[in-house]
Amino acid sequence: METAYPPLNELFVFLNTTITQISIFYSHIPGSGILLKYIKNSHQNDPFRTILELLLVFFAIIYLFTKKYRTDNLIELTPQEVEELVDEWQPEPLVPQLSDEENEFDKIPVINGPQGPRVKLVNGKPLLNISSFDFLGLLSHDSIKEKAIKTLREYGVGSCGPPGFYGTVDVHTEIERKISDFLGTEDTIIYSQGFSTINSAIPSFCKRGDIIVADEGCNFSIQKGLQISRSIIKWYKHNNMEDLERVLRKIKDEDIETGRRLTRRFIVSEGLFENYGDITPLPNLIELKKKFKYRLILDESLSFGTLGKRGAGLTDYFDIDPNQVDMIVGSMCYSIASSGGFCSGSFEITEHQRISGPAYCYSASLPAMLTVAATESLKLLKQNPLLLSTLKFNTLLFKQLLHNIKYLLLNGSADSPVIHLRIDEGIVRVGDIEDKEKCLQDIVDEAMNNGVLLTRAKYNRTQELFSIEPSIRICISASFNKKEIEKTASVIKSAATKVLKNRVH
Amino acid sequence: MARSRSRSFITTEKPTTYDEDQFALPNLNSNWVYYKGAWLVHIILIICVKILLSSVPGVSSETSWTLTNLSYMLGSFVMFHWVKGVPFDFNSGAYDGLTLWEQIDNGAQFTPAKKYLTALPIGLFLLSTHYTHYDAITFLVNFTFLAVVIIAKLPQLHKVRLFGINRLEVE
Repeated sequence: METAYPPLNELFVFLNTTITQISIFYSHIPGSGILLKYIKNSHQNDPFRTILELLLVFFAIIYLFTKKYRTDNLIELTPQEVEELVDEWQPEPLVPQLSDEENEFDKIPVINGPQGPRVKLVNGKPLLNISSFDFLGLLSHDSIKEKAIKTLREYGVGSCGPPGFYGTVDVHTEIERKISDFLGTEDTIIYSQGFSTINSAIPSFCKRGDIIVADEGCNFSIQKGLQISRSIIKWYKHNNMEDLERVLRKIKDEDIETGRRLTRRFIVSEGLFENYGDITPLPNLIELKKKFKYRLILDESLSFGTLGKRGAGLTDYFDIDPNQVDMIVGSMCYSIASSGGFCSGSFEITEHQRISGPAYCYSASLPAMLTVAATESLKLLKQNPLLLSTLKFNTLLFKQLLHNIKYLLLNGSADSPVIHLRIDEGIVRVGDIEDKEKCLQDIVDEAMNNGVLLTRAKYNRTQELFSIEPSIRICISASFNKKEIEKTASVIKSAATKVLKNRVH
Repeated sequence: MARSRSRSFITTEKPTTYDEDQFALPNLNSNWVYYKGAWLVHIILIICVKILLSSVPGVSSETSWTLTNLSYMLGSFVMFHWVKGVPFDFNSGAYDGLTLWEQIDNGAQFTPAKKYLTALPIGLFLLSTHYTHYDAITFLVNFTFLAVVIIAKLPQLHKVRLFGINRLEVE
């Protein structure tokens, strides 16, 4: 091609050679022929499709080359920032300074010798111990001691392993069988700590998304179990069956409204409330559980060995078939005067916990001597029905004597050996919780001067979910005689009068 | 509080009370995307399905490619974007409300596994259009399925549920 402008001609030549060279270079790239063929083939005389496909390719390329980012709010620190933080860190003292509680520590009495209904302080002062959970007075029973010592010589001190890993010995299976027989349930599982029994039994069945309806008055151990289970927790007012029904009905309505899937549902309550000393109305609870199709977990830690004709707890007390309650959880630390806890129910209930109850799987099993001590206590309880009638008599006598007590309110059901004395705010002028606790502590101190060992009910208030009125917790024991009960009652009365009479409205 | 069923078009899964549980243990349910052979197995499965479908007498190349496409898109949609939670109880239900795609890399976006799993269906679709002569309808069917899978993978749809479908019903 001839043109009038030689420079333009040169440009064409340059362009042509460049394009030729690029295409030659391109044909040398491995796979270039395939790509060319692919585009030609794919086009199929439909530009719309080709554009779509090109867009897809662009999208893929953009996606592949976008930088990664996180959506969780974790902050990644540079090594420099880590260094700075480490330098800034000031360790807290290993033994922190005591604040207001220091006074309280000074007031904790120190007992010389073993625990029991009649104790001696380090200064030699004899006291009537009405603050320990030893309801049947089995803690200082001779035959239990003998058996425990004999077992100690035979089996050694510890069990040296969780129940699933060489920690189970014959005495464990024996007590499991004995408790099942005593309660009338199918099977029982033994835990090595009373506190961790229910807070291990609950999460072994309940998971996130399950619904648990629980009493607001439940003790700390249950609260922790509910928290660990991660379930949805609904609370009903303490011992209020109308409120329980309202809560259950509301959940049912929500089910219909949201169409959510059916999950495991439980009602959790205490048999004899540790923080209130009252008895849960089990027949109503079972009726509601059946009506709304829930399972019932009943913490019988305090009611086991104290309530009922045989002392077999709440089912015995109300004369209800124990198999109506899905899980009966109890403690062997209180009436049974040993250690550990148990969960009783159907075979499936216990067997499931043997592989999924955290405290059963990961904690060393109950030492053989304590297990034997518990078996022996259970035997004594079965053999001596007098123990229970004495306990009942003492409880009634004590309540009768304190019936007309001024300044204090007697909390708890009539048959309950656990009694909470709370300040009667109708008569006495008191301030906040701290002030009330101070008043009660003064009563405790005054009673101790007169030969009765009392205790305030103590809580970790920062962790408790519901605020509990301060109280003095009294545990009646079967080992007191009539005179001692009378003395205790009169000491408490006069101590309350002495401390609170200046604060009357 | 129970949330009532979809009142709005788009809803986002709210953080649950125990989101910190997600960091307590490794998520064995989603970590497998980085295991040896986990990437290759997708390709092997696709090839197997394709061979299986092509070997059926009377099935045209278009049908077999379409079915291969559809089965992969559907399968991956169900596995990555529909099924929620963890089949075994490893994490105390910390991932109950999240699909597998949302669980991968603890929700981080544009990670290698996510890039691979996004590029794969696109590649499959492009291959299938190349080897066949789709008519307009088959092309659209294939493309729609691809689009659904791709849209579900977009970072903008992280923890988002459309029309309240497949939401976590409780809490």
